[in-house]
Amino acid sequence: MSKRIVLEFDHVTKVYTTGELSVHALNDISLAVEEQEVVVVMGPSGAGKTTFLTIAGALMSPTSGRVIISGTDISVLNEGQLPAVRQKMIGFVFQSFNLFESLTALQNVELVMATRGITGEGARERALALLSAVGMEGRQHNVPKKLSGGEKQRVAIARALANNPDLVLADEPTANLDSKRGREIMEVLRMVAKELGKTVVAVTHDLRVRELADRVLWLEDGSFRDISDEPGARGGDHPPDPMAQ
Amino acid sequence: MTLLTRQNLLSEKVGFLISVAGIALSVFLIAFLLSLYRGWDEGVGRFVERVDADVWVAREGTSDFLNAASILPTDMGRDLGRVDGVSEAFPVIVRPMNVTADGKEIGAQLVGYDPESGVGGPHKHESGAETPGQDEVIIDTAFGKQNGVGIGDSIEAAGRSLEIVGESSGGDFVFTQTMFVSLETARDMLGMDDWNTFYLLQLDGGAGADAVIASIEQDFEATGAFESDEFAEATRNRIMKSVIPILIVVLALAFVVGVAITGLTIYNSTVEKAREYGILKAIGFTNRYLFRLVMEQSVVTCMLGFVLGAGGTILATRFVSDFVPQFVTLLRWQDLLMVLGTTLIMSVIAAVLPVRRIANVDPVSVFSG
Repeated sequence: MSKRIVLEFDHVTKVYTTGELSVHALNDISLAVEEQEVVVVMGPSGAGKTTFLTIAGALMSPTSGRVIISGTDISVLNEGQLPAVRQKMIGFVFQSFNLFESLTALQNVELVMATRGITGEGARERALALLSAVGMEGRQHNVPKKLSGGEKQRVAIARALANNPDLVLADEPTANLDSKRGREIMEVLRMVAKELGKTVVAVTHDLRVRELADRVLWLEDGSFRDISDEPGARGGDHPPDPMAQ
Repeated sequence: MTLLTRQNLLSEKVGFLISVAGIALSVFLIAFLLSLYRGWDEGVGRFVERVDADVWVAREGTSDFLNAASILPTDMGRDLGRVDGVSEAFPVIVRPMNVTADGKEIGAQLVGYDPESGVGGPHKHESGAETPGQDEVIIDTAFGKQNGVGIGDSIEAAGRSLEIVGESSGGDFVFTQTMFVSLETARDMLGMDDWNTFYLLQLDGGAGADAVIASIEQDFEATGAFESDEFAEATRNRIMKSVIPILIVVLALAFVVGVAITGLTIYNSTVEKAREYGILKAIGFTNRYLFRLVMEQSVVTCMLGFVLGAGGTILATRFVSDFVPQFVTLLRWQDLLMVLGTTLIMSVIAAVLPVRRIANVDPVSVFSG
C-alpha cells in the first residue's frame, strides 16, 4: 500500500523580479514527499533553498505551479488564509532555534498551541509529552539560556510538533551544533518521522546528516537532482560530486 | 492576559516600570487638574449661591460679584422694597481692595453688610465672633491660612486698623477671599455714606423673579437685576474662563506625554522583539493575534499607570490644601471614570505605531538564508 503524499510541488516556479531583472529561484520543480519520509535538501548558497523552504512553509506563494500540503492546494490560498495552514499543517525548526528567551522550555511549546485555542492543562500535558519524546524530560522548566544548543534544538522540535502537523520543515537544524549534537538532532528528526509519523524536510549544508535521510536532493540553479544513490550521498568521507551528471 | 504579554512586559522590567510611572504621572496630572477645576468651579460660585437673596441688583454694566464696580444710591433701597413681589431689600457694600496683614499687602474682597439681618454676611461661622462690630472684621479661614493671621490680629485697610474677631468659611474665591465688616464700618472706611454696591432682594412667596427683574430694569435707570443663580454663574465664569484655557493646554500636554511615553516604550519593545514577532508569524500566529498582544501590553501598562496615578490623586487631593491653601480640589468618581476612559484611549493610540511595525515584519526573515 503506497504512502500518503504530504508535500507536493507540481511544476513550481518562483521568479524574483527587480526592475527589468528577473531571477529564477525555482525553475519548474516537481517533488512529492511521503509521510514518514526524511528528505534532506542540499545545495550551494543562493541555490534557492530558502525560497524552497518558504514556499513549502506557506510563507510565500510561487509564481506558477501548485504546492499541495496534506491534500490542500495552498497556492490558491490568499495571504490571510496561509497562517492557518502554518498553524495546522507545518512545524518549523530553525537554525538558531528561535526560542523565546523569557519563556521556559515548557512555555515555548505550550505557546504554539494557543494559535489553535489549546490552553491550560491540556496544553501542558501535551507539551510535557512532546518534550519527553525529544529527550527533554526533567528540563522543561529551564529557560533557553540554561540549555545547551542541542537541548534548545530539541525544544524547538517539540515546539514544531505542538499542533500535530503532518510536515516538519527544518532550516539548517544542525548548523549551530557540534557534530555529536548535530547527529543527535538528526536522529531526533528521524524519530519524529518514523515513530511519530511526520514528514521531515530539512534544508542543510551539513554533509554529516545525509546518512539519516531517506532521500537527498541537490538544489542548484533552481532545479532539484536526486543524489541519494550517488557515491558519498549516504555519508562517508566525501560528499557527492554535484557535477557528476 | 496572555503568557506572551506577561513575559514581554516583565522581560524588560525597567522599561515597563518607566512606562507605568510615566502613565501614572500623566494620569495624576490629568486627574489632579480636573479636581482643581472642579474645586475652583464649585468654590468660586458658592458664596453668591448661598447668599440669602433671590435677586441681586447692581449698576448697569456690573454683572458679577467680583467685578463690583457698582454704585447705587442708599435711598434706592426704599424704592426697591416697594416693587411688586419684593419682600425686602438689603444693601451691601463690596469692594475689591488691597489690605495689609502681617506686613504683607494682600488682595481681598471687602464686604460690608448689616449684621442684624445677616444677609450678605459670612456663610458659615467657624470661630470667634459671629458678627463684626465697629472696626472689627471677620476673615475667611482660607485668608487666615494663606496669610498666617487669625483672631486677635489686626489688618490695615483703607488707612484703618481692623481687628480680626472671627473666622468664617465659604468665601474663598481661590485668588481672593471675602472679609466681612459691618455696613457702618464699610461706609466710614470707603466714604460711601450715600452709596451701596448691591441690593439683595428677598421676594414674596410666589413672586416670580423674572417679573421683578423686568420691573426693576424698566423703572430704575441704568440698573441691572439678576437672579442669584445667574449672578453666581457669572461670578464663576469670570474666574474659570481665564483658567480653562490654561487647564486645557496642561491637560492636553499631560495626555500627549502619556501617549508618548507608552507609545515609545511599547514601540521600542516591539522593535527589539521584531524577530520574535517574525517567528510567531512564521509558526502561524496571525497579525490579528499579534496586534492583540501589543494592545494587551499597552492596556495593561496604562491600567497599572492609572491605578497608581488615580491613587496618588486621591491621596494628594485629600492633603494638598493643608500645604497649599489655594489648591481647592474636588475629586468626583465621574471624573475618575473619565480619566480611566482617557487612559484607555491613550493605550489604544500608543499601540498604533507598534501595530504598524508588526504588520510589516516579514516572517521569512527568520530563516537563515
